[in-house]
Amino acid sequence: MSETFNEPFPLAYGTYEDAVKLLNKPGKKVVAEFSVNWEMIKVYCSMVEDGNASYWNEDYANKQWGGIVAPPGLLLTWAMALQWHPEKEREHYFIAMKIPLPGDTLINVATDTEFHRHLYLGDRISVVDELIDVSEEKKTRLGVGHFLTTKAKFFNQSEQLIAEQTNSLFRYYVPEGES
Amino acid sequence: MSRDITFKYWNEISEGDVVTQVTMDVPFERVILDAAATQDYFPGHHNPAYARHQGQKEIYLNTMAIEGFIDRVVTDWAGPHVFIRKRQMQMRSSIYAGDTLQGEGTVEKCYNDNDQHLVDVKINISTENGLCVPAVLTLELPTVRPS
Repeated sequence: MSETFNEPFPLAYGTYEDAVKLLNKPGKKVVAEFSVNWEMIKVYCSMVEDGNASYWNEDYANKQWGGIVAPPGLLLTWAMALQWHPEKEREHYFIAMKIPLPGDTLINVATDTEFHRHLYLGDRISVVDELIDVSEEKKTRLGVGHFLTTKAKFFNQSEQLIAEQTNSLFRYYVPEGES
Repeated sequence: MSRDITFKYWNEISEGDVVTQVTMDVPFERVILDAAATQDYFPGHHNPAYARHQGQKEIYLNTMAIEGFIDRVVTDWAGPHVFIRKRQMQMRSSIYAGDTLQGEGTVEKCYNDNDQHLVDVKINISTENGLCVPAVLTLELPTVRPS
């Protein structure tokens, strides 16, 4: 049986030189498709079996934080692109997916996040990110490619800074005969 | 099944304290739930053929699931009144469907910064195959247990 899969993402393809041209140029600010909602918080917490009362218990959360808050690990989810939209082409909201490079796949390498305030039910975030580093070609145990580092800032609907995240990923391909 | 809630206060924590170990199995179902819960449909998280194309042995958890597990390890230990100020993590090895996660850690530092009472904890996330994700978190906690 042959193993098949669809192109997962409309990744941008190009050269290292093409990628370098995009350094330190912030992308457009994107308003999240999802507002912060309790249902998605519960699904996420059930996935990691997190019983934290800040996410589940209104009485406790109201007293401690002034309301149910979002788990920090859901930060990226609110701005994820829908799989289909009646009026918009599917587009990645995160700039790392739009950097032209040869690699046909990627894997995350490191994530550093600083949180400034909570997200509450009903909040709607916006995010702006930029490419701050791209490595020359490297070979790792997974394949051949480039390390990308991006920095993103997340705001709530009042333009208060929620979090800042620096993320590194490896955009690579597996050389012929090694997969 | 309900769990007991622990509340630790900043003045009760010391450098070298052990963060209580948490384990969680990762069946295929949890990896698929991860993709749905985080809206991250990158195919390495749900399509075994694609994961193998990437050089991975199986579908694997995404970063957001690992973040959630790390955060759970620290808040199960210190309580829901913790505000996570910083989380730094490195994905050294993927966590695959079929693995069992283990999170454990130690307190590295207790200090004040701008009237915030902070604790740095080192958390290691491992599977049967060894260390996968080392992380360091900075937690803000209430200072003293209410009388």
